[in-house]
Amino acid sequence: MSGAIVTVEDLRIHFPTQDRRETVKAVDGISFSVQPGETFGVIGESGSGKSTLGRAVVCLLKPTGGRVLHGDIDPYALPAAALRQRRRAFQIIFQDPNASLNPRMSMLDSIREPLDIAGGGSRAERDAIALEMLERVGLSADFAGRYPHELSGGQKQRINIARVLTVRPRLIVCDEVVAALDVSIRADILNLFADLQRDFGLTYLFITHDLGVVSHVSSRIAVMYLGRFMELGTAEDLAERPLHPYTQALLSAEPIPLPAAMRRDRRIILQGEIPSPTDPPSGCRFRTRCPYAQEICATSDPTWREAAPGRFVACHFAGDVTGHPVTNQPHKEAIA
Amino acid sequence: MNPDETLLAVDGLGITFVNGNTRVEATSDIGFAIAPGERVGIVGESGCGKTITGLSLLGLLPPATTIVAGTAMFEGENLIGLPMSRMRHVRGRKISMIFQEPMSALDPVFTIGQQIGETIRTHFSATKAEARERAVAALESVGIPSPERVHDSYPHQLSGGMRQRAMIAIALVCEPRLLIADEPTTALDVTIQAQIIDLLLAQSARSGTALLFITHDLGVVAETCTRMLTMYAGEIVEDAPVDSALVRPRHPYTSGLLRSLPRLSARGAVLPSIAGRVPDLRDMPRGCRFAERCGHRRAECAQAQVLEEADGHRVRCWRQSELVLPGALTEREAAA
Repeated sequence: MSGAIVTVEDLRIHFPTQDRRETVKAVDGISFSVQPGETFGVIGESGSGKSTLGRAVVCLLKPTGGRVLHGDIDPYALPAAALRQRRRAFQIIFQDPNASLNPRMSMLDSIREPLDIAGGGSRAERDAIALEMLERVGLSADFAGRYPHELSGGQKQRINIARVLTVRPRLIVCDEVVAALDVSIRADILNLFADLQRDFGLTYLFITHDLGVVSHVSSRIAVMYLGRFMELGTAEDLAERPLHPYTQALLSAEPIPLPAAMRRDRRIILQGEIPSPTDPPSGCRFRTRCPYAQEICATSDPTWREAAPGRFVACHFAGDVTGHPVTNQPHKEAIA
Repeated sequence: MNPDETLLAVDGLGITFVNGNTRVEATSDIGFAIAPGERVGIVGESGCGKTITGLSLLGLLPPATTIVAGTAMFEGENLIGLPMSRMRHVRGRKISMIFQEPMSALDPVFTIGQQIGETIRTHFSATKAEARERAVAALESVGIPSPERVHDSYPHQLSGGMRQRAMIAIALVCEPRLLIADEPTTALDVTIQAQIIDLLLAQSARSGTALLFITHDLGVVAETCTRMLTMYAGEIVEDAPVDSALVRPRHPYTSGLLRSLPRLSARGAVLPSIAGRVPDLRDMPRGCRFAERCGHRRAECAQAQVLEEADGHRVRCWRQSELVLPGALTEREAAA
């Protein structure tokens, strides 16, 4: 798509296992593009490859196959210095706010560090930018001289946001950025992300396992399973009319804080666990856990097709399945 | 409450950490009761004291650095200060506990079978062959495929979901009267979490085991428990039937927690949050501990209050009879 800030084309990222005998196919053929100003959500379980995808988008991992375009430029086609320059506009924030801060650096030093590396401007100018960003993420100037151990988890995550903002990124990959935070703090940080998006014209690639979070912040959502996208659509479409059986199962597995009488009475309990990415199932990767799986699912890899404008799905039976699988156990009767 | 219908009666439970000459009161005046087979949830954010409350019931806090006050009556015995020789007959036999991270709760150098066998042979006279038979049956009952093989496996050979099933098998092999589950699904993916929740509910129903479910996830509490204790800064602030607490919480903190969930806000709208931070344990206000962050604060909130009962809710708030607070329902759901 033209005008995209990031375009991913048939991306593959493979790692050898420790004994080098097998290959982990962490990302195995993914294509999508992110438009400027949108929040593109990626949801998936552990081992689905969502973090690997995020790292590849900001050039922390080199594709094994396919490519990632920043605008219309392939950053890996550039010389090393130009690549470093280029990827400055594509930043990433991680889940654990402790692990991403150096315990021996003051908050001001941590926030200024990206600017120090980027070069340019005097020390006083860089300090001024760092202080401005500190304030921008809702922390007073008192925090400048503090160290990570003096801050709460939510405050540390604000510092991590401030430090990527210093280099004025166009896109930020948010990898489980609120997963380690308590519910009430989480709301504050999500509000901050929304504010910053408006004020700085940011684009987010928002990676999470939390359905509530992803559907609140995202304009479009991709559902990832075992290195592939299963489904892609607007947040509304995906939440209200999931086409892929995996999306349906994910939505139904999410515990909802509602009284028993108001909860949906049907839950799809998937059998088994996510298979190993060294040896994904033949055909459709989800078939080993899919309540609708047929013979064709084992023999033929479902194509990534546009089921409706802007709505993509990889399932032989998408549209025919409605979230009423036969193996379904009525949840409430099971506990009565 | 009729004493015949009480399995566990906790009263005035307070935990103080001692470090040299400094004392920090982490929880105070914790009081609640659990009926046989009842499923009770403790919810609250990090540091509120929910985990140490669970640990204190089994004498698992380090005696050198903790002082536990109050009583926890269980089958005619006070668990607090119970001599180790007696406690050994309670742990694993009458009351079991499972934890968030099964990998750190299981011993890496023993097989799963040895670890179940240890529990069986501690509490019953059984030969090795009998213990094995019972252990395999226990693994089978928690839905582990090929239980014979898992019996002889080491923890690192199992997935996270399988380890948590093995932990549950160990915890329930002696059919205890009470299972304390501390964030048992937090480290698991949502589809695996759904499997484990179903398993816990089915096991609890089958053997009449009561559940004390410690979690920060309000959705998990809604789906697993019948009663919910909300903790804040070391105190219980509300004790109510789950469905009633979700629809009409009586404490402003319970309401604030529920309102900050993304599902209640329109996509992209500002999420309600609870301003401010939990007070420092070393500098706890004398009156209501939530007052500083509470939008309903009045002059009387500077005085300490106790849990007072009305309409089936026990609430620690001076204004509980006059406040009508929103719960976990959207406007549309509340109107229906």
